[in-house]
Amino acid sequence: MLGRRSAAVPVVPGPASHVLKATGVGKKIDEAVLLLPTDVKLTAAECVVLRGPNGSGKTTLLRILAGTLSASEGTATLDGSPVDERHDSTRTAIAALIGAPATYRDLTLVDHLVLIDSTWGRVGQTADDRADEILELLEIDHLAERFPHELSSGQQQLFHLSMVLVRPSSILLLDEPEQRLDPDKRELLTRILLDRKADGSSLLIACHDPAMTDSLADTVVDIASA
Amino acid sequence: MTRADNQRLRQVRATILGDRPDTSRNDALYPVYVAVIAAGAYGIPAAQQLFRSLDGKWLAAHAWTPTGGIVAVSVTALLLALVPLVGRVHGPVVPPLPYLEVVVASPMPRRVTLARNWRMSLGGSIIGGVLVGAVGGGGLAIAKVASPVVLLPATASCGLLGVLVAELWLQGQVHGSPLGLRPESSLPRGRRNALTRLDIAGLKRQSASNATIGGAVLAGDLRTVRLDAAKPSTHARHVRLRPSGPLMVIARRDLLGLRRARWSALYGLGLAAVGSAGLMLSLRSPRTPTVAPLLALIVAYLGFGAWCEGLRLHADNSGTSRLLGISYRDTALAHLAVPVSAWALTSIVVSVGLWLVGLFTPTALVWALGAGALLAGSHLMASFRGQPPIGVFGPRAGVPAMVFWYARPLLATLVVGTATAAWGARAATPWTAFSWMLVGAAGVIEWGLTLVNKRDRRS
Repeated sequence: MLGRRSAAVPVVPGPASHVLKATGVGKKIDEAVLLLPTDVKLTAAECVVLRGPNGSGKTTLLRILAGTLSASEGTATLDGSPVDERHDSTRTAIAALIGAPATYRDLTLVDHLVLIDSTWGRVGQTADDRADEILELLEIDHLAERFPHELSSGQQQLFHLSMVLVRPSSILLLDEPEQRLDPDKRELLTRILLDRKADGSSLLIACHDPAMTDSLADTVVDIASA
Repeated sequence: MTRADNQRLRQVRATILGDRPDTSRNDALYPVYVAVIAAGAYGIPAAQQLFRSLDGKWLAAHAWTPTGGIVAVSVTALLLALVPLVGRVHGPVVPPLPYLEVVVASPMPRRVTLARNWRMSLGGSIIGGVLVGAVGGGGLAIAKVASPVVLLPATASCGLLGVLVAELWLQGQVHGSPLGLRPESSLPRGRRNALTRLDIAGLKRQSASNATIGGAVLAGDLRTVRLDAAKPSTHARHVRLRPSGPLMVIARRDLLGLRRARWSALYGLGLAAVGSAGLMLSLRSPRTPTVAPLLALIVAYLGFGAWCEGLRLHADNSGTSRLLGISYRDTALAHLAVPVSAWALTSIVVSVGLWLVGLFTPTALVWALGAGALLAGSHLMASFRGQPPIGVFGPRAGVPAMVFWYARPLLATLVVGTATAAWGARAATPWTAFSWMLVGAAGVIEWGLTLVNKRDRRS
């Protein structure tokens, strides 16, 4: 069931292949150790799952690899260059869902997806279709005309995932994407991510769900408690 | 309130206080003491200076005519109409949450448990009204716009207005509660029973909001204040954002946002029209008081700001996962397209109106259009100013430092806009002053962009 390909997955054709690498990456703030030195390598069409107890630094590592946080030690690179979210090349390659993304409280769900899609310069006429397809894919198409503040916490999570999935990217960084989702929705998400991987996207996911990890992971990185 | 009710309330208050002394009377009187001192020391001198700068002779000739009376009554009625709207968000009866949970939720009559809070607000409103009347009347008398006798009726009438304000404020709170005034409700009707019609859910909501906003103000977090005070949008949900180019879609987003926040769009339009007209008219004569462009720019700043919600929401987004395909700075600039265009359009329409009544000058229109750049820059500054520095909260800095920090965008607009407008109105040719206004506007925009870049680097 989990390995089955779902229909109408609106991914960007042919994601470029990138190598995202963390070499001895660690993070300290004063005396507090947020992340012990860790190595991770992510290649095209690969899924790496980060595992570890709460507070071990999974989110910190994802932030460093998304280029939104600098490492105290070690290096984080995308195709050999330092990862920095302010660089167009980093933003073009990496789509990250680390914490809740900001939403506009005066836009509906479908408006958000059209806005994100349009800012990536894709063909305007089909942005509506792509937005509808993503909502349908995540089975929240019936919520298209709701505002973000009108969603339950699980629906919010699906909406946040739709915002990440609608934008073009080659690498998906997801921090516990299964949180607040019921078992059926976790299965659905797993299928969607497997399809993304089959289409050439790379996935780096912090995950606490053993079933999702078994289905998705090519490599599991266990992060020791900091 | 019966004797038994009184007795029970005293017992409750004694339990809440425990061994601590009851300082509530002093706590209530201290703000009154400070307000009286401030009104005497600062209010009356400021009022008389204002009346003098507004051309005291002209004011004396027009203030006591039927037209002056109609203007005064209209402005008062307009302000009174706004009071119930305030009550819906923050009413006069907002006890702290623990008191609501433990006392107001108990079977004791609500007009008993809430009476103290109501009396405090009513008293504050009356004292506020009396002080406003005394300050206004005193200012008019000292500026020789009116005889000193005016002080008495001004103080008395403003005190009565204070009563009216408090009543309207309470009615606003009653109407704004989640249960509202249901027609089938068997609760007693009438002004005296307004307190019994306040439901616990509404009281808790306002109390929680009060705590949030109070904490946010103390922490200098204006974003929390804004988001907590404004109701989220639910209008025009069936209208979809039309896809377009990366920058155009941001402008379309802002237009859709304004369509969904119709009141914001409308009051922005009203204030921008008044501000634009005031600015254009203040350039007509070298005898125009300097306070005229100053007031016009304040109104214009508020009107322009009502159209900048997209810009502010973008500033709120810093520090979260970025999903848009254009840079943070470009997105910020794209969010200015709608307010700048709306300002330009409003100024053109206002100038047509002024042309119809024979008050149009091409220079004034060009000036108003140029002021759009100044307003855009100051709202960039305001949206991206972030949190105040720690030094502002220090014991040596005090409230003036914090007010100054917050007001920098407005002050930048007023300093550049008022100085150049006053110079332009008095100069033989206004273009040198206009050029300096554009230079100043460029400086304000650059300042705003520096703040945008700073937020971008921090996130």
